[in-house]
Amino acid sequence: MVKIANLSKIYDKKVKALNNINLHIKPGEFVSIVGQSGSGKSTLIKLLIAEEKPDKGSIILGGWDITRVKNREIPTLRRQIGVIFQDYKLLSKKSVFENIAFAMQACGFSKAEINKIVNQMISLVGLKGMEERYPHQLSGGEQQRVAIARALVHKPKLLVADEPTGNLDSINTREIIDLLKKINNLGTTVLLVTHDREVVNNLKGRVITLDSGHMISDQKHGRYLL
Amino acid sequence: MLSFFRILKFAVQGFFRNFWLSLVTITMMIMAILSMTLLVGINHIKDTTVQGVEQKVDISISMKPDVTREDVESLVHELEGLKEIKSVLIVTPEENLEIFRKNNADSPIRDALDIFADDENPLSYSLVVQAFELNQYEDVLNFLDQDQYLDIAESSTLRDHKDIVDTIDNLSNVVNKYSWYVIAIFILISIIVIFNTVRMSIYTRKEEVMIMKLVGANNWFIRTPFLLESVFYGLAAIIIVMVIVYPLLDFVIQPSINSYFSGLELSAYFKNNIFYIFGYQFLILAIINILSTAVAIKKYLKV
Repeated sequence: MVKIANLSKIYDKKVKALNNINLHIKPGEFVSIVGQSGSGKSTLIKLLIAEEKPDKGSIILGGWDITRVKNREIPTLRRQIGVIFQDYKLLSKKSVFENIAFAMQACGFSKAEINKIVNQMISLVGLKGMEERYPHQLSGGEQQRVAIARALVHKPKLLVADEPTGNLDSINTREIIDLLKKINNLGTTVLLVTHDREVVNNLKGRVITLDSGHMISDQKHGRYLL
Repeated sequence: MLSFFRILKFAVQGFFRNFWLSLVTITMMIMAILSMTLLVGINHIKDTTVQGVEQKVDISISMKPDVTREDVESLVHELEGLKEIKSVLIVTPEENLEIFRKNNADSPIRDALDIFADDENPLSYSLVVQAFELNQYEDVLNFLDQDQYLDIAESSTLRDHKDIVDTIDNLSNVVNKYSWYVIAIFILISIIVIFNTVRMSIYTRKEEVMIMKLVGANNWFIRTPFLLESVFYGLAAIIIVMVIVYPLLDFVIQPSINSYFSGLELSAYFKNNIFYIFGYQFLILAIINILSTAVAIKKYLKV
C-alpha cells in the first residue's frame, strides 16, 4: 500500500524534520504514528499528500511515487488519500450535506452521483437526520464525522487522520476511533497520527514511534512508548 | 459543462462576497472607461468637423474676360474627363456679379462697380472644381497650368481652409495627448486595485480553496473562478458606464451639440457603434484584469 524508503526532509538547510525514514504499510492495515510535538508527524503527512517535497527518499502509494508527482497530477493523487484534521476544516456557512457534497462538486461529479454517495457516507458515519445542520449546530465528534464522510467520498485507498481526537472529550474520542476502525474493517488503510496515549494503547495495533525526525520503533502490537 | 457552471457559481459568489471592495474596483474601472469613452466622443466630433470643413475645399478658376461660354464648356468637358474630378460648376458672369455685390454689400470695394455702366459687367466666367480627395487638388492645379489653358484661365485658387483644419487638429491632438495620460493613470490604478481585490478574495476564500485542494479539485477549477470574477468587474463597469452614457448623450450632450453644430449626431454615432466602442473597451479591460489576476493568483494562491 505505502512504501516509504530513506525519506528525509530538512527545513532551512539545518532542521531535520524527518531523517531517513523507512516504512511499509500493507493494504488494510490500521497504523498509529505517535510522537511528541516536533517529532516529524505533521511533516510526514505533508509529504504523503504532496503538500511538500522531500529532500531525499521516496513514498510509493499503490505503485505511484508521490515524491516525483507533477503538479497537475496532485489532484488525482489527493483523491486517493482521504485526510482529516484535528480542527475538522469544515465550511461554516455550509450544511452537513453541502460540506460533504462540496468535495464532490469541486471534482466535477454529477448531482445524481453526489446525492447518492453523500447520503451513503452520511449513513456510514452515523449522521442520518443531521444533513441540514450547520457545523456550529454539531458537537465536536459530529463535526469530525462530517470531515470523515467528506474524506471518504472518493473512496480513497488510504485515510490519514491527523490528531482527529485532539479536540474531543473521551466519549467522542472513542466514537471517532470506533468509526475509524469500522472504515478500516471495510477495507480502507488507516494511518492515525496522534499523541493520545489512551487511544493508542486501546487500539493494540501497529504503532510507529517518531522522535526528533527519527523512527525509533515499529511495533506490531504496540503501545505508546514516550 | 457541469464544472463550468460550478466555476461560474463560485465566481459570482466571490464577486458579491466582498461587495465594498468590488465597488471600489468597479469605480476605478468606470473612471478608466469614461475617460476612454470621452476620448472616442472627442475624436468623433473632430473627425466630423474636419470632414465638414474638407467638404468645402475647392478650386476656384477665374476665366479671362473675353472667354466665351463655348470655351468654358470645352474646359469643363476636359476637366470632367479627369478621374480626380468630383464636380465642376460653371458660375456665369451675372452670378459672379451677384455674389460680388452680396459679399461686399457693406464694403467700399462695392463702389468699384460705379465706374461701369449699369449694363456693363466687368466680371467673367468662373469654375468651381471639387476633387474626390484632398491630395488630388495638386494634380488638378498642375493640369490647369498646361499652356493650352493659360489663354482662357486667368487664375486658379485653392480654397483649402487649411487654418481651420489645422486649428481643429491641434486642439484635438492636445486633448488626445492629455486624455491618454488620464486613461493610463486610471488603468494603472485599476490594475493595482484588481490585484488587491483578488488578493483579498483569495484570503476570504482560503478555507474553501484549502478544502478544494485537499479533496483533489483540479488546479483550473480552483483558479478559474478568480479569473472569471475579475472579468465580471470589467463587465459590471462597462454596463454601468453604458447606463450613464446613453441617457446623458440623449438628454444632455446631444441637445447641447445641436444648439452649436448641425449635422453632428454624437448620440447616433454611439448607438450605431455600441459594440465597437464598448466591446473593444470590455475586451481590453478583460485582458488587463485577467493578467493582473493571474499575477495575484501566482503570488498568493498556492495550489
